[in-house]
Amino acid sequence: MARHLRSLARQLGGVARPSTYYLPWITRPGLDCTLVLSNVEARFKPDLNQGPFPVSVVQYDADGRAAQSYQVTLQDCTDTVEVPLAHAPGGCGFATVIGERLHSDLYVTLSDGHDYTATHGRHEFIEAYPLPARVLLGAGGAAAAVVGRTLPIFRRNQYVYLGRESRSHVLLMNLSNVTNRIRVAAHVGDRRIGSALLRLPPMGSRLLDVASLGPMPAAGVVSWRLELEGNAWFNLYLVGAGSRDLAGPLSLMHVK
Amino acid sequence: MSATFYEAGYEHHVEVIHQRDGEARRRLDSLEVMLYDEGGALLGAPRVDPAQDVLDLGALVRATTSATERVMVVFDARYAESIFPYRPHHYAYLHRAGSPAAPLYYAINAVLGGVPDRVGATNINNFETYVFRRGPFAQRYSLLLGCLAHFVPVQAQVFTYYGSRRVAQEITLEPKCHAEVALAAEHEGEPLARVEVKALFRLLSYVVGRRADTGDLVLFDHLFTYAK
Repeated sequence: MARHLRSLARQLGGVARPSTYYLPWITRPGLDCTLVLSNVEARFKPDLNQGPFPVSVVQYDADGRAAQSYQVTLQDCTDTVEVPLAHAPGGCGFATVIGERLHSDLYVTLSDGHDYTATHGRHEFIEAYPLPARVLLGAGGAAAAVVGRTLPIFRRNQYVYLGRESRSHVLLMNLSNVTNRIRVAAHVGDRRIGSALLRLPPMGSRLLDVASLGPMPAAGVVSWRLELEGNAWFNLYLVGAGSRDLAGPLSLMHVK
Repeated sequence: MSATFYEAGYEHHVEVIHQRDGEARRRLDSLEVMLYDEGGALLGAPRVDPAQDVLDLGALVRATTSATERVMVVFDARYAESIFPYRPHHYAYLHRAGSPAAPLYYAINAVLGGVPDRVGATNINNFETYVFRRGPFAQRYSLLLGCLAHFVPVQAQVFTYYGSRRVAQEITLEPKCHAEVALAAEHEGEPLARVEVKALFRLLSYVVGRRADTGDLVLFDHLFTYAK
């Protein structure tokens, strides 16, 4: 029901959803973040597999500014190009990838120089709201924020795990051109243990330390359910950290 | 069905609840779990509560078997037909106790082996690929493959690509057997670029990276099909 209402509201409000492929990024001292681009999954699709494939990458910083852009070319559908991402303000964000006839999942990797972890990006969309809708959402979101809430237009649920030797962070990405207030509430079973309200600028991102939402377990690994609500389209990646937390090796993972 | 591999020493948790939206934190109707050793022997089929959110896989395996080798864990989970007619989409978490490596979150593989029209994948999905970073990195790569067929062995071809060179390996897996297929990081001076798996029937497949010094998992990911 809520889904149909949102769809109707989008149509009435003139909200556009241009198809977009994006990947998360994180930079830290000693941690290299590199995209691995290819079109290998198009290898057996005659209308998509004829190279070369020019590819354009735009890296958005945590404040939503286009901090860097990269132009690369895949010579053929088995070619692979690695694109090391530069450090940008905030140390996290997402990068969009545009390429005609690009029909393959792309990877983002994190490496401490010894080994690397990897995950793939998402082919979804960015929401573009017209000015009246932006004003309305801005005012409504600001009013709700006074009492620590947001307009719960989009919701997600996500399980996260934490223990003495491992931590989880959530990279929240505002995939829209409006300010997105995202409320994150952590639950153990049906009991709420803490919450946070984050304000993400248009196209901006924030890294949330899950441990900031509640007490860490004394031993073992526990799972918490996060309930996330935002006033505009958003998504998240999970960031796994070891005992050195964000100063050590990290992993990224897409979610449902 | 869905399936994964459990290795001793890892914290390994699997989501068994579907939580697509607030009003539909759907519980499973049923959940059967089966554990198999590398030779295909059934190690156990422990009873599990389908109403729980997250299953502690390590605790379940340790309580079921004393086996210390890799175990293939098969999930046959069902929702009520009116909710989802296809298999649940399980996500999981793993981290080796005492390891400084980052924990990994991953999506559990879907495998034909039950009732095909309940899997929700009607395209050919038994021709898969994965690309690697050039490196050099101090990690070992491999594929973890498992066969969920009931009666017949499955033959698979594993192709690894190094520059313009291709190296082929053939593997045959008897029903319920599983194996780790090593992928050389380098061949004739060229780094591993990608891998392909071709099989007549869909195999359980994960691409794996382990730290060369400790063996800790740093990659545990599904491959990508050529036929989406």
